[in-house]
Amino acid sequence: MSLWVDKYRPTSLGKLDYHKEQANQLKNLVQCGDFPHLLVYGPSGAGKKTRIMCLLRELYGPGVEKLRIEHQSITAPSKKKIEINTIASNYHLEVNPSDAGTGDRVVVQELIKTVAQSQQIQSSTQREFKVVLLTEVDQLTKDAQHALRRTMEKYMATCRLILCCNSTSKVIAPIRSRCLAVRVPLPSVEEVRTVLTNVCRKEGLSLPGELAKQIADKSGRNLRKALLMCEACRVQQYPFSADQDISETDWEVYLRETANAIVSQQSPQRLLEVRGRLYELLTHCIPAEIIIKGLVSELLSNCDGHLKAEVAQMAAHYEHRLQLGSKAIYHLEAFVAKFMAVYKKFMEDGLDGMMF
Amino acid sequence: MDIRRFFAPSKPVVQKPAQNGGVRSVEDQKRNKAKPGSKTKSPETVEKSSVKRKKRAVLHSDSEEEEVEKKPKKSPQETQKPAKGAPPPKKHPVQYVSETDSDSDTFVSLKKPTKSDDNGLSKSAAAGPDKKATSAVSSPPKPSCRKGKVKSPPTPATPKAAASLPKQTHTSVLDFFGSSSIQRSDKKLVASTKRKAATQDMDDSQSDEAIARQLQMDEDLEKQLHDDEEFARTLAMLDEAPQPKKARRESGSPSKSSTGPAQLSIKISPVSGSQSRANSKAGAKGPSSKKSPVKTSSKLASMKRKEEENARKKHEGATKMVISPKKEPPRTSTSETQNVAKSGMPSTAKSEPVTTPVSKKISPKKAESVSPEDAEKKRVNSSAYRNYLNREGPRALGSKEIPQGAENCLEGLTFVVTGVMESMERDDAKSLIERYGGKVTGNVSRKTSYLVLGRDSGASKTEKAESFGTKIINEDGLLDLIRTKPGKKSKYEIAAEVENKKTPEPSRTRRTPQKTSPRKQTPAKKTPSSRKSPRGKAATPKQEPSSSGSLGAGAREARKGLSFDTAERHGASTTTAAPVPDTEGSSLLWVDKYRPHTLKGLIGQQGEQSCANKLLRWLQNWHTGNTKPAAARFGKFGGKDDGSGFKAALLSGPPGVGKTTTAALVCEELGYSYVEMNASCTRSKNNLKEVVAESLNNTSIKSFYSGASQTVSSKHVLIMDEVDGMAGNEDRGGIQEMISLIKQSKIPIICMCNDRNHQKIRSLANYCFDLRFQRPRLEQIKGAMMSIAYKEGLKVPAPALNELILASNQDIRQILHNLSMWSAKDKVMTYDQVKADAKNARKDMKLGPFDVCRKVFSAGNETAQMSLMDKSDLFFHDYSLAPLFVQENYLHVRPAAAGNLKCHLVLLSKTADSICDGDLVDRQIRSRQTWSLLPTQAIYASVLPGELMRGYMSQFPTFPSWLGKFSSTGKHNRTIQELASHMSLRAHVSKQAINLDYLPYLRSALLEPLQRYGADGATKAVQLMNDYDIIKEDMDSIMEISTWGGQPDPYSKLDPKVKAAFTRAYNKESHLTPYALQAVKKGRRGAVDAELGEGGLEQESQELAAEEDEDVAADAMVKQKKMKASKETTKQQKAGDSGKGKGKGKGKGQGKGKK
Repeated sequence: MSLWVDKYRPTSLGKLDYHKEQANQLKNLVQCGDFPHLLVYGPSGAGKKTRIMCLLRELYGPGVEKLRIEHQSITAPSKKKIEINTIASNYHLEVNPSDAGTGDRVVVQELIKTVAQSQQIQSSTQREFKVVLLTEVDQLTKDAQHALRRTMEKYMATCRLILCCNSTSKVIAPIRSRCLAVRVPLPSVEEVRTVLTNVCRKEGLSLPGELAKQIADKSGRNLRKALLMCEACRVQQYPFSADQDISETDWEVYLRETANAIVSQQSPQRLLEVRGRLYELLTHCIPAEIIIKGLVSELLSNCDGHLKAEVAQMAAHYEHRLQLGSKAIYHLEAFVAKFMAVYKKFMEDGLDGMMF
Repeated sequence: MDIRRFFAPSKPVVQKPAQNGGVRSVEDQKRNKAKPGSKTKSPETVEKSSVKRKKRAVLHSDSEEEEVEKKPKKSPQETQKPAKGAPPPKKHPVQYVSETDSDSDTFVSLKKPTKSDDNGLSKSAAAGPDKKATSAVSSPPKPSCRKGKVKSPPTPATPKAAASLPKQTHTSVLDFFGSSSIQRSDKKLVASTKRKAATQDMDDSQSDEAIARQLQMDEDLEKQLHDDEEFARTLAMLDEAPQPKKARRESGSPSKSSTGPAQLSIKISPVSGSQSRANSKAGAKGPSSKKSPVKTSSKLASMKRKEEENARKKHEGATKMVISPKKEPPRTSTSETQNVAKSGMPSTAKSEPVTTPVSKKISPKKAESVSPEDAEKKRVNSSAYRNYLNREGPRALGSKEIPQGAENCLEGLTFVVTGVMESMERDDAKSLIERYGGKVTGNVSRKTSYLVLGRDSGASKTEKAESFGTKIINEDGLLDLIRTKPGKKSKYEIAAEVENKKTPEPSRTRRTPQKTSPRKQTPAKKTPSSRKSPRGKAATPKQEPSSSGSLGAGAREARKGLSFDTAERHGASTTTAAPVPDTEGSSLLWVDKYRPHTLKGLIGQQGEQSCANKLLRWLQNWHTGNTKPAAARFGKFGGKDDGSGFKAALLSGPPGVGKTTTAALVCEELGYSYVEMNASCTRSKNNLKEVVAESLNNTSIKSFYSGASQTVSSKHVLIMDEVDGMAGNEDRGGIQEMISLIKQSKIPIICMCNDRNHQKIRSLANYCFDLRFQRPRLEQIKGAMMSIAYKEGLKVPAPALNELILASNQDIRQILHNLSMWSAKDKVMTYDQVKADAKNARKDMKLGPFDVCRKVFSAGNETAQMSLMDKSDLFFHDYSLAPLFVQENYLHVRPAAAGNLKCHLVLLSKTADSICDGDLVDRQIRSRQTWSLLPTQAIYASVLPGELMRGYMSQFPTFPSWLGKFSSTGKHNRTIQELASHMSLRAHVSKQAINLDYLPYLRSALLEPLQRYGADGATKAVQLMNDYDIIKEDMDSIMEISTWGGQPDPYSKLDPKVKAAFTRAYNKESHLTPYALQAVKKGRRGAVDAELGEGGLEQESQELAAEEDEDVAADAMVKQKKMKASKETTKQQKAGDSGKGKGKGKGKGQGKGKK
């Protein structure tokens, strides 16, 4: 009785609901018997991981679904012990090196080496290479990425890498050039709707088209989220009604409240409150980029005219610095402070303009 | 004024009359006072008053030529006309005289040894060391310090001031100090002049003298008492309100106390004079004795004459000068007597005398008259304050040329600067005045000689100045003053010269009349002087510090405080010492050379409740105290704070305040021999045991010789110095051993450390009598330093010394080192030089991050003087914390620059931007180890925000919340990661997706059945958990993470019964997880406990306990390789033994072979 998202996750390339053309291409790729390193990227909830698992199944058969969690400990040259969890089948190894924090370079080096150095014995019945699936590659440190470069070439014979990340902007160019980049875009609203409707049908429910559309909109075309929302709606009220309340996640609500607080008053005290709220978001591990994005989209709706452009530009500026800096709160707060200053000025000037 | 007259004809006219009036009034006053005030005043008392007047006149003469003229007239007229005939010397001689005061101190010191002979018997053993010190001091200065003499005069004075006014604020002490010496000198001058004049009249006067002497002696005794009390009172007032005190004290004291001491001095002077004369070669001494009768009569007349004949007497002033050189010897003799006067009167600058009398008279009136107008004043004041806030800076900075004045031309003058100067900053003006020996105070008082008036000056100061008759000049006037005033030899130098002359003289015994006043514990109390003979001259308080080599300014008080030396009652002040050879200590560091040799010599340890005394009492009572039952011993709060329950004492305090010295002296004082172990000894556990235990059980050989075989244990002390240094491998276990040693010790143990709150020391502190040393106050140190500087022949201006003391953060040791270093370079320091050096010598004080933060944003004077480097240095007090503090607190600052909210927000935004820049730099620094960028970060993260936001902070700086948030972020991050790895087989998503997407819905999915169906939903929830391989602890962390903004956790809102049902359902079956549970072990135990407490499920716990037994063998470590498909079957297979030991942190994974 798992959640719908997982319950109805497609397991083969053929069953994928959207981007079927890409699925076909992948299928062809695999059917050739070999394929290059892959760099699969796309926004969260687009189905990257699902697609990869389908690909692996296509490659190795159902054996890849026999997964196990392994706990590995790797000793770094500095005698530091690094513990990391991996998910493995007989044919592949999935690891998220960024779990090891700054030790990710060692993980990449050691883990991949051990996997890649073992040859498949029965090459006749099996592929002669294993697959190492690295997730969240964009979180890797530069060191680890550079370590990856050499490994990718050296063990090409016995090992294929599939890198999975949200954005290639943080993947260094040498790696990008060594991989076949596969972008998995978000499904369109229509596709989301279709998926939702299908899932509901499988559950024996009837989903009104309007509600499906609303969910799709609200989820930002994030299919995973859409499905989770849909299920939440089901729990909340069934039969569905078209104008049903769609529950949002707590953090989204909280973020929106924060944005409203910024717009409703601009003062040092308010800035202090906002800081507290930003801290709350950050301690809940909401990524700063998402916070700033959420803020901007809310704030923009309260701005008009040229202020919109200005705020958007500001946001971009601070988001950039966010990446360069190390303490997210500084930059978020600076953005808020700047917005307050600009907004206050705008409002007062506007008032003055009206009075004269 | 006079000067003005000369240079700026217009002004003098106005001011002159006032002065004259003032003078007259003074005279009247004096007459009145002298006669009615002193009941039985002999002619001499009158004489005294007249003497005073003369002094004033003399003083005037120094500063202003016209007045000088007057004086000469008087003096010649009154006493000697022959003197006039002498060629006119310059004014300097007069000044010399003034400096002789200090000389007198030295004489006193000479006397002391003799005294000590008298008192020596009465004194307890404690006094002994003092004597030595004193002798050392007294004897050496003459031969050794040629230079020293120059400096010496000031030094003796200071200690006295410091001693007498321990609680005074810094400024007040300065005033007191600086002024006092000067006044004395004036008096002396007068006295001496008179005496000379008197010499001719000797025959007549002699007889009178004798009578007068007798009468006076009686009176004196009484008066002294009075004086002391009053003085004490004034001092007490001073303590209460530092600023007001001065003015009041000056106003009040001159009338009573000043007269008192002055009288004393005069009275005594004849005696001393006669004695000294007899002894001395100089004929000058003789004259002094003669003065009294003639003078008394003549004084009044002379005073009048003076006034009348303002205009002419320049020549005569010159004649006076002639006298002065001769006077020097007499001065010295008289000076002793004046010491008393000194103590009583913090005197003003030489020029002041004119003003002072006026002020005296006026002061009472003023108080009355002012009160009715208060209301109006307030209004005026408030507007004035507003103006004050708005006033601009100097308009024409640097437009006027700063004149190059003669050396010390402003010496003895007191200035008050008010308003804005046109051509210079106020600070510059201040340092300009100070450079030429003048003194700058904040408030107008009677002592103030000039009020320097700038633009937009405050009305109150002007009024006050007018009421006091203070001369008011403007900026140009000040510059003219500097330009035109003749330079003087510094009084220090003069004093030194005088001393040179004196030194050949045989030391005479002089005694001051004794005060029988009861000893008060108030700081104001004068030192008890020993009374020797009826005619004894007072050993003035000043003498002691100067003469005694000890550092203690308040030594006498200390003695009083010490209960043990009862014998001392009288003779405390007379510290004789075996003369210490001058050469001794020449190779020593000053710190050792001048290490106090008695408890009284300790700086800042003189109070009854001071650490030194507490320690002394503790040690005294140690053997009696520790015979008590053991139970009483270690009670931390048992009894009074005499520490009688403790076997050890712990002295803690900053470095350089004298902890070690105190401990050693206390031991010596009580005749204990001590074994000291400090950080240079290895103090590991074994070592301590062996060495210490051994040495403590030894018997000292000394006792064999002496024949008195003592058990060692009664007279030994173990001093463990620097216990906080017991660290590292060397001293491993040292503290523990110390504690056990203390527990068993049969002898007292004294431990010392710097940081009382250090982790290591804390355990030790429980067993120790806790004595915390504070830094001595500025004045306490200053007195001692002055005397040392004097002894070393180092001339340090008082302000410079202040600077130095503050710079080293009241670290006596460091101050001494600095002084020592200077003395190697140059014996005579100019003000500028010293000021610069003092700045260099400034001890880097480590500021706490809170102080740093406050300073970064603080506005006003504090930061106005700071250079960019200073500001960025703030950052470096702790470069890892400073930016955090700034970031945390910049929102609490109200920037002065922000007019309105909009402006404020803009500033905030700019600040935030700058802080961001700092963060970027920080990232660069830390990721690439480019530490050279730190200064850049300092600018961005601290200096710029400080500049932008400069203002005042509405609250105390708060500790950066970033640190806490960061760590809780990290914790949540780990939790989520663990969750993600647990769910990874089903969910296939990254932890971020888990956090953002899954968790909220998963939580509601888990709780929904429980909320909706209650206990019946439990199985459903458990089922879901199994599907996602979530264990109970994950459930808890889900609840924790998905709680927002302090909302209650929905799970905790569930009915306890439901929760219990849920827990039961969960425990009913085994949960096969695809991961090893070992890592979670610890967390689980905690979770289970919490759950038990919460639900109160004893039943459950019993079950758990039962199950536990079965499963003890269960292996938690088996790695599971599990296939979804096989899950069901395995469960069934294992169902039999499925009761999983979940309770005790037993791992619960079940070995499950899939393949």
